[in-house]
Amino acid sequence: MPSSKPSKSSKLKPTDTKWSCEFDTARRENLFRHPPKDHSAYPLLKDAIAPHVESFNALFGEDGLIARGLKDIGTKYYFDGDAQAPISSRNKMSIRIKEVIVNKPQLTDANKFSKTRSILPSECRERHVTYRGKVSGRFEVRINDGDPHEMIRELGQMPIMMMSSLCHLQNNSPDLLVHRKEEAEEQGGYFVVNGIEKIIRLLVVNRRNFPMAIVRPSFVNRGPTYTEFGIITRSVRPDQTSQTNVLHYLNDGNVIFRFSWRKAEYLVPVMMILKALVETNDREIFDGIVGRNQFGESKKEFFFDRAELLLRTYKNYGLYTKSQTRAYLGEKFRVVLGIPENMSNYDCGTEFLRKIVLVHLGNLDVTEAQDNDKFKMLLFMIRKIYALVSAECAVDNPDAVQNQEILLGGFLYGMILKENLEDLLTTGIRAALRDHLRKVPEESFATPEFLRTLQSKILPRVNHNMGAKLEYFMSTGNLVSPTGLDLQQVSGFTVVAEKINFLRFISHFRMIHRGSFFAQLKTTTVRKLLPESWGFLCPVHTPDGSPCGLLNHLAHKCKILIKSLDVSEIPRLIVDLGAVNSNSSSTQESVVIQLDGRILGWCTPKQSTFIADTLRYWKVEGSHNVPKELEICYVPNSRGGQYPGIYMSSGPSRMLRPVKYLPLDQEDFVGPQEQPFMSIAVTEPEIISGESTHVEFDPTNILSILANMTPFSDHNQSPRNMYQCQMGKQSMGTAGTAIRYRSDNKTYRLQTGQTPIVRAPLHNDYGFDNFPNGMNAVVAVISYTGYDMDDAMIINKSAHERGFGHGTIYKVKKVDLEEGGDRSRSSKNVKKLFGFAPGSEVKAEIKSYLDDDGLPHIGRLIGEKDIIAAWHHVTQDGNGKYVNKDRITHYEKYKEKEIAFIEEVRLIGNENGTDPLRSISIKFRVPRSPIVGDKFSSRHGQKGVCSQKWPTYDMPFSESGMQPDVIINPHAFPSRMTIGMFIESLAGKSGALHGLAQDSTPFKFDEQNTAGDYFGHQLMKAGYNYHGNEPMYSGITGEELHADIYIGVVYYQRLRHMVNDKFQVRTTGPVTQLTGQPIKGRKKGGGIRVGEMERDSLLAHGTAYLLQDRLLNCSDFQRSWICKACGTFLSVQPTVSALATRHTGTGIVRCRRCAVTVDGWSRGADIWEDGKGQKYTGGEDTTLVTVPGVLKYLDVELAAMGIKLKYNIEP
Amino acid sequence: MSQAYQVPTVAPSTTRDVAGDGPAINYLCGDCNSKVPLKRGDPIRCKECGHRVLYKERTKRMVQFEAR
Repeated sequence: MPSSKPSKSSKLKPTDTKWSCEFDTARRENLFRHPPKDHSAYPLLKDAIAPHVESFNALFGEDGLIARGLKDIGTKYYFDGDAQAPISSRNKMSIRIKEVIVNKPQLTDANKFSKTRSILPSECRERHVTYRGKVSGRFEVRINDGDPHEMIRELGQMPIMMMSSLCHLQNNSPDLLVHRKEEAEEQGGYFVVNGIEKIIRLLVVNRRNFPMAIVRPSFVNRGPTYTEFGIITRSVRPDQTSQTNVLHYLNDGNVIFRFSWRKAEYLVPVMMILKALVETNDREIFDGIVGRNQFGESKKEFFFDRAELLLRTYKNYGLYTKSQTRAYLGEKFRVVLGIPENMSNYDCGTEFLRKIVLVHLGNLDVTEAQDNDKFKMLLFMIRKIYALVSAECAVDNPDAVQNQEILLGGFLYGMILKENLEDLLTTGIRAALRDHLRKVPEESFATPEFLRTLQSKILPRVNHNMGAKLEYFMSTGNLVSPTGLDLQQVSGFTVVAEKINFLRFISHFRMIHRGSFFAQLKTTTVRKLLPESWGFLCPVHTPDGSPCGLLNHLAHKCKILIKSLDVSEIPRLIVDLGAVNSNSSSTQESVVIQLDGRILGWCTPKQSTFIADTLRYWKVEGSHNVPKELEICYVPNSRGGQYPGIYMSSGPSRMLRPVKYLPLDQEDFVGPQEQPFMSIAVTEPEIISGESTHVEFDPTNILSILANMTPFSDHNQSPRNMYQCQMGKQSMGTAGTAIRYRSDNKTYRLQTGQTPIVRAPLHNDYGFDNFPNGMNAVVAVISYTGYDMDDAMIINKSAHERGFGHGTIYKVKKVDLEEGGDRSRSSKNVKKLFGFAPGSEVKAEIKSYLDDDGLPHIGRLIGEKDIIAAWHHVTQDGNGKYVNKDRITHYEKYKEKEIAFIEEVRLIGNENGTDPLRSISIKFRVPRSPIVGDKFSSRHGQKGVCSQKWPTYDMPFSESGMQPDVIINPHAFPSRMTIGMFIESLAGKSGALHGLAQDSTPFKFDEQNTAGDYFGHQLMKAGYNYHGNEPMYSGITGEELHADIYIGVVYYQRLRHMVNDKFQVRTTGPVTQLTGQPIKGRKKGGGIRVGEMERDSLLAHGTAYLLQDRLLNCSDFQRSWICKACGTFLSVQPTVSALATRHTGTGIVRCRRCAVTVDGWSRGADIWEDGKGQKYTGGEDTTLVTVPGVLKYLDVELAAMGIKLKYNIEP
Repeated sequence: MSQAYQVPTVAPSTTRDVAGDGPAINYLCGDCNSKVPLKRGDPIRCKECGHRVLYKERTKRMVQFEAR
């Protein structure tokens, strides 16, 4: 039982975070009334969002990703003087960024009024601005290796992630959060950009530092002798930027190293890189590929031949030593890499190896040992590609989670920032320096005042605004990048975190996208649900339709590692366990042991089993400094399977999930790479002795948060569970408790939400009772009136009157007077103000809409074209007063057709607190009680449209007098097989009768203990039928119905699709100018197209009159004159007469083409006159016909091309 | 802080009115909830705490709808 005074007891003991399946009404009520002052009662919510927040936090600090990125950027050198002159004669300047400082969002010094300087996210939402903090960089400048000069440059303001270490709300207690106008359970993880909440999507990328064997037919097109075989390694630098290295296999056995740099691709013979990395000889390379025992029994002809050819073909280059090769590489890549002129070719080559070749093995101050690691790794890659070609090993599937990892939002954000910083140093400053030196040729770097000029004249001309670039990225999701960041897409990186209901909101953070590149792919292989995803990606929670299989959601227990682990002990342990350096190309003799793409040693296949098992035992035990999150992927030897070895990973971005390790009966974390080679039992009884090493903690761990909310989902046909995952996110629910302080364009709210009687315990763990999403309804499955046909449902009118499904839509409209005008929104530039123009006349009617300040009355009902604000033009006089000269008041109108109430009016000032009233934000409340045509759904993918609100006295009733709230048709079940809904109905019924919260976790019942039996007996205890059926009586006749009716309690969601947003009817209305046909679009009062197929259908029904009505009368019906003789519309013209009235004209139309001109003096009855006074005779054979307007248009168009249409007119 | 509802003493005029510079109207500060009287052309900020978002108060007029 919860204590009655939680505010006091919370001081004594921390807030309880343990939840069960129970309703816990009093406990929740207390939590809600007295938000905890220590920590949230729902820690699972925080875990769900952790990858976002933690990845953003990883950017900052002493050893943050930005700091590491700055080290990678390093020092940039600039030279003055003549480019042709020798480098020694020119002055050198070096600039590096020592540090990037990001501040929490704060007011600038321009604001002199506020006592509190911090800007809170709620203010940003209310003011429709971005939650951002100031970025500045500490630059260090040295001239000719003199003393370093530091200068601090401002780099704009960048969006800050909510609840990150740079957010004011970090570690705030729920109590404080409520005071700061946030949800009590606010978890952050998103950005506020222009008042809209945006998140960076989690993206799937190739697994880092792992050489993946790939067969890609497109590789053949790369050039002659290229084959489809390749090895791809996505090598990741310490700052989380990546560089992909590819080895290509050529027909003749040669291997080419490929990489892309700034979106251009380069090819280098792999031998050249091998020779450049270390001082080596052909023998060493040969041994490295073929291994020992080259002449023994396991001699490998295949490897032998190719290694020899590799060495022979390379002889053509005539490069023998390391220094020769490096100098050669350096010379070739000097310009590409933008290496300063003063560096030698050899150093250039070193830089090339540092920046491009297997960067995960050494990226900064590369030591010889690291170069040796790279050398060994390249040899391993060559070995693997040869094994692939000789079919010794299988290809690795890049679409399986096994070979994937997650690109986290924060990391991507850091990459963009790093790239912009590097760009600033290279292109930005370099160009500004060149311009300046050209303009002032007498100045050089050595000039004494140069530093001052640099600071005052040169640097200000460089665009420093990193913040604006990041804000652009966040608001559009477009990546503007010269390097492409090793990614396959340039847009769609961010999405709006819609808060339609809480389920949808939380799902955004668990969403994983495969990348928009794959969305266009015609093949469906990438979308397949693979067994490797087990436990990492939810098999149920993916949308159907175009994003199916590309947009997945994380299983609720799956977490993503953010920090690298400490694995410094591992290499020593491996050696202790018997790994050696000598090796063989035959995987039967020796297999590799790798840690994060670094070769630690080799051992025999037999030893490798032992090593992997021992390491796993140690890691679960927590001994020998083996971290628990280490992934030990032991790939056993097989015939043509994956290339064997032990591949350990300790890096971030990996997915991990907890399972129980059987030998120690403790929690272990497994990753996607190792999982396919492990035996993990799903339940305890399934454990196979001697084989299973692990068992799942719970079979529901494979489901996402949302999929876990579907009751008894194991009893449903699987697509129904998918549909529920869609509809759960579309239901009108509760966005939160701080709705007052939000300004989403549109939010939905369910007034009468309830907690479901039937729910999984996770419902409470995630605190979903704070955000109710539907109502418990008494549902009868019966075909009653005929109004429940075809997935329609009947709602009891009294239930509706009691508030069943009552909802509201909140719409926010920002009225900004200076919108779209000049960007400089200074207070000196005010042209318009809200309010009535002084001296202007205000009608009494307008006074009823608007208050004296020209803003609407709060609480007033408004309809279409009602006035919601008044404004007027102003100019500023000498005293800075705003005066209006024209005395004209302009009015802003409410444009929607639906009635609404004014809920809130917000006056928005500018950040400096100096602006007068130029923008307001009005929140409208649109009441939406359920009406016929609104959509509802149970939690089993059973959606339906309300077809009738049936009066309660005509509804069927049971023996106890109960009447259903909702009637659905029995035909909804046989084909859909949503047995879970039947069980929910039973469970709900008995739960309501006994006052129980029913546990609906899937996989709890089996064939022996069925759910029906369990809940049936509960019903019997309450005196009801075991099967859930009840005799019922017709509400109309009072007779007992012939069959017993299945009636129970089911949780119903009201979906946000409502007729009021969708209906579209018209007979007449606006038309397109050109054709006279109705315009498109519901908003504009347009029509719906009767297309070809609709036309066919009408034809087939023989409904000719209807067809004519739709296609002609209600469309471009037109009566037009035509000349029967020449059969054309274009030659007719009305006659003119002095006697005719001005408006109606003569009413006589003649054909000018058939007519003959007569001279001006002739007279007669058959003579007519045109507008110019020219007289004609004849052309009388005209008639009025009904034609579609487009026909005349077609005639005109064809005539313009010199084609004549002739119409035969009869009679 | 809150004022009780007062029945409007002056009957709403049906004739046209001429707008003046207007009296100062009270708004509520979005941060400290204090009353902020503002006139036309005044800068939008709380006089007490300098907050930059102000809320309009609910109207004192009678708001009555037909119950349906």
